[in-house]
Amino acid sequence: MFKFKKKSLIYVAVVCLLIFLSSLIPFLRTPVLNTLKYPFVLLTLIKREVRGIIFYHRNFVQNERLKKEIDFLRQKLNTMGEALLENTRLKETLTFKQESPYKVIAARVIGRSPDNWSSLVIIDKGRYNGIKTGMVTINYLGLVGRVIETTESTSEIMLINDPNFAVSAMVKRSRQEGLVAGTLGSSLIMRYLPREADIEASDTIITSGLTDLYPKGLLIGTVVDIGEELSGLARYAIIKPVVELSNIEEVLVIAR
Amino acid sequence: MKKGIFFIFILISGLLEATLLDSFKVFGVKPNLLLISISLAGLYFDLKWAFVLGIFAGILKDSLGANSFGINVLLFPLWVFLIIELSKKIPIDHNLIRMILIFIIGIFNSIITRLIFFVSGGFVTSLAIFLRVTFLESLYTAAILPLMLKVIKPTIYSVNQ
Repeated sequence: MFKFKKKSLIYVAVVCLLIFLSSLIPFLRTPVLNTLKYPFVLLTLIKREVRGIIFYHRNFVQNERLKKEIDFLRQKLNTMGEALLENTRLKETLTFKQESPYKVIAARVIGRSPDNWSSLVIIDKGRYNGIKTGMVTINYLGLVGRVIETTESTSEIMLINDPNFAVSAMVKRSRQEGLVAGTLGSSLIMRYLPREADIEASDTIITSGLTDLYPKGLLIGTVVDIGEELSGLARYAIIKPVVELSNIEEVLVIAR
Repeated sequence: MKKGIFFIFILISGLLEATLLDSFKVFGVKPNLLLISISLAGLYFDLKWAFVLGIFAGILKDSLGANSFGINVLLFPLWVFLIIELSKKIPIDHNLIRMILIFIIGIFNSIITRLIFFVSGGFVTSLAIFLRVTFLESLYTAAILPLMLKVIKPTIYSVNQ
């Protein structure tokens, strides 16, 4: 027992001496530290585990608190991300409003059609703000729809993909005219195109100004497909609207 | 109390249809929650109150929608009446029977709505769109029924006790 203690003491003394010498002689420092690296790692590991067991409850509580904090921060980050997106959208709307040649009223979408047979949105501005039935609705991308009903503080807007919606339009490149109507889906249809109509896929479609309500040159969408009517007398074009109608959040009503 | 809760239930259904349900569209179609609400009203209430609830739901739907006002005010009480009459003849206790019933009512509701719209000079929807919306809406509405029952049943029973 004594022998073991004496032997151990000698080892400890040698190690201590080496550590002490390593601080005095720089070149000894590296081999000593390299040798002691693994015992240090092992001891640190043991210490960490022991501390983990001893302070289990404290760590557990701390962990719970931190988890909650992470959730809170994540939520805050999401909210801020949403605010950032809204800020970008509003900035674009404001820029458009300032640059637009029309007098426009900005409004926020607060509701949508409850049935599947129509495509309309409800906005938070009404007669009190100067909105009247028949006014045209746009956003910074292009044509959105038309006001079909107003109350004091809200208005209903029929979107361009509603089957009841129709607007006189033309191909920007060739000035070929037709009638754009909604299909209830995500695309529009341009009808009454003659067989020899100069229209191609990816052509831009704009309002022609023939319908009194709609100013000329409002962007509607781009041609994605061209087909022939069943009668064979005319052609039609499928148009992808420039405005993402399914998630529209702000609109501008053109005041006449 | 039970009636009050059902009024609130109808109101929430209407608001959900006009707002959140747009995010749950399947092939561009969302379920008709108000149709489920009035069908449940037909199952849980007597004719008088079920009628009142049906009219309330109809007014709500017509106010928020673009169709000519009055279609749903007329149709919803009619469905309520038919459900009450049918429940006297055959038991409508099982969820599957209720779902089939809602599916059939949904189809007839769409056909009649479109017919009234057509007769009153509205735009004629293409056959493909009509079939897609009618079938999917009825199917989706029927599929949502068990979920709606799970929400409304405990509330009504807790009020009764």
